[in-house]
Amino acid sequence: MATSIPTAYLFFAAAIVLLALPKGQARSILLLVVPIIAGLHVWMLPEGSLATVSFLGLDLDLSRVDRLSRVFALIFCLAAFIGNLFAWHVRDPVQQVAALLYAGSAIGAVFAGDLITLFIYWEGTAIASVFLIWARGTTAAYHTGMRYLIIQIGSGVILLAGVGLVWQETGSLTFGAMTLGSLGTWLIFLSFGIKCAFPLLHNWLQDSYPAATITGTVILSAFTTKLAVYALARGFAGTEILIYIGVVMTLFPIFFAEIENDLRRVLAYSLNNQLGFMVVGIGVGTEMALNGTASHAFAHILYKALLFMSVGAVMFRTGTSKASELGGLYRTMPKTAIFCLIGAASISAFPLFSGFVTKSLILDETASAHYPLIWALLVFASAGVLSHSGIKIPFFTFFAHDSGMRPAEAPRHMLLAMGITAFLCVFIGVFPDTLYAILPYPVEYHPYTMNHVVAQLQLLLFAILAFGVLMRTGMHPPEIRAVNLDTDWTYRKAAPSVIGLAARGVAQVWNAVTGKVTRIVEATIARLYRSHGPEGRMASVWPTGAMVLWLGILLGVTLIVSFVS
Amino acid sequence: MSNHPPSTDDPANWPRLGRLLSWVDRPGSAHRLFWGLAMVCIVLVMLDFTYKKYGHFGVEAIPGAYGIYGYVMFTLLIFAAKILRDFIKRPENYYGDKAVDSETYPEDQLDRVQYGD
Repeated sequence: MATSIPTAYLFFAAAIVLLALPKGQARSILLLVVPIIAGLHVWMLPEGSLATVSFLGLDLDLSRVDRLSRVFALIFCLAAFIGNLFAWHVRDPVQQVAALLYAGSAIGAVFAGDLITLFIYWEGTAIASVFLIWARGTTAAYHTGMRYLIIQIGSGVILLAGVGLVWQETGSLTFGAMTLGSLGTWLIFLSFGIKCAFPLLHNWLQDSYPAATITGTVILSAFTTKLAVYALARGFAGTEILIYIGVVMTLFPIFFAEIENDLRRVLAYSLNNQLGFMVVGIGVGTEMALNGTASHAFAHILYKALLFMSVGAVMFRTGTSKASELGGLYRTMPKTAIFCLIGAASISAFPLFSGFVTKSLILDETASAHYPLIWALLVFASAGVLSHSGIKIPFFTFFAHDSGMRPAEAPRHMLLAMGITAFLCVFIGVFPDTLYAILPYPVEYHPYTMNHVVAQLQLLLFAILAFGVLMRTGMHPPEIRAVNLDTDWTYRKAAPSVIGLAARGVAQVWNAVTGKVTRIVEATIARLYRSHGPEGRMASVWPTGAMVLWLGILLGVTLIVSFVS
Repeated sequence: MSNHPPSTDDPANWPRLGRLLSWVDRPGSAHRLFWGLAMVCIVLVMLDFTYKKYGHFGVEAIPGAYGIYGYVMFTLLIFAAKILRDFIKRPENYYGDKAVDSETYPEDQLDRVQYGD
């Protein structure tokens, strides 16, 4: 019985219960209990289609459980727990309800066995999550949220169009492996690509995540993009174009992240780069590559949340997340600093940290599948991750020059959330088999070989050495207050100016034409008035009999009309 | 009880972990860290001679291949990013008041506490 209830409904029910509870700790406790129950529920679910309903003649599969969907649902529950613990102090019901509905929708989408259910939850994540941005309550947050919502809803609309076409073509709504070819499958692919932040479709991510609330960003970072990764893994595993898309995704963000000043935006770029590794894994598409993608998504959600939490905690205490304003905070926020360093080591894939045991699955499979150039670029991108997430984030926040700020350590619940996450990052790194055991396919992989460990340490430590040399020679770019252009420039600056220009042009033509016509009409009226008006010359020669004549004609016409009818 | 809060700039008043970490700011520490790291890097390259290397590609067999690659590519990345910055850098208020870059985070959602308060 309990297994036939979709896990997502637990979150939706909790959202209603939450509003019935008094404001305060009771609500915060509920926000922690729900993900735990949901996690246990997911853990217990047997494999299979557990909840099928018929709706308007469509067979909907609300709860398709298999090893791929289960691992994503589990990490989503864990992420919801960590995010809500970090947000323990938040008393804003909008954010609390949004967090529940958002996590619920993401889990619902992961368990969706058909494309209609997927679509509904796909849009659910979009609508629920935007409130985490709007909750900041500023004009800028409102506008950024609108941009985010338009793109996210757009992704859903494209998905629906694709689903319609695929349905018409195949007669099936099952969400399974697809082959790119027809317009329908391309539209679905594009819709997944928008949410997954493919190159050129990516900028909603860097635009919106730094605009959300401190706690909202932590929650945002977990779900939307990893849902897209899941959807791609489910629908398009082994699609070769994903390898190339993925590798571009790993590369371009590292340059932008390097020169970005807002550390939460640096992390958004870094998130984009990490998604690239997962997308490459999906493109390679072998069982081990998909294991790599799933495990990397799992580990990534944890260390990315940890990094967002540590920067968020700094922001909570200092009011800023700009690298140019921060520095030297280790003095009074040492625990946050240590947790940040653990997150940094994990994302950089240092041995004994989680990224090491998951990313290498993807890299190894790429090499085995004989993509030497892709492999070399991924190794380069790994050094790039180190540069911004491994070095820049902790170094310019907690070390480097002393900003003079002496904020107090993060509040206890934030430290606890960071501590649990940091522990998990190390635990996965030290005991990778625990994570490997829940992956979609059996894993036979040993990350800790002499070969592998030495190679990885060489890559990372030499890169840090290069950083040291650049710092000592003053060649490392300084952190400065500025923004950098990205593709959002096209719709935030270029399009408005083009539209403004076009509007001005159209307005000028319109004014010129209507002005001319008005002048002609006015001149005609004036001329007629002069000649035919009461004072006009023609008025003086109007015969009185003309009136009688017209009256006669009118009566005649009336007579004929009534006679004919 | 003193009327003045303890000076937070006195390391003696920092949390213990913070005092431990403050080793990095002592004179000469950065220097020591740098050369220590360089030594570790040399050891890592030496290690490459001690075991049988296997990899998917021939280049992986070169001793120190990963180290050289990491060093060179990291440096290139930084230089490329500096050049990129020249092209795409704009003032912080470039997008006006509809962007979060030029606004301050709402104070009522923060909990600014000074250490020692």
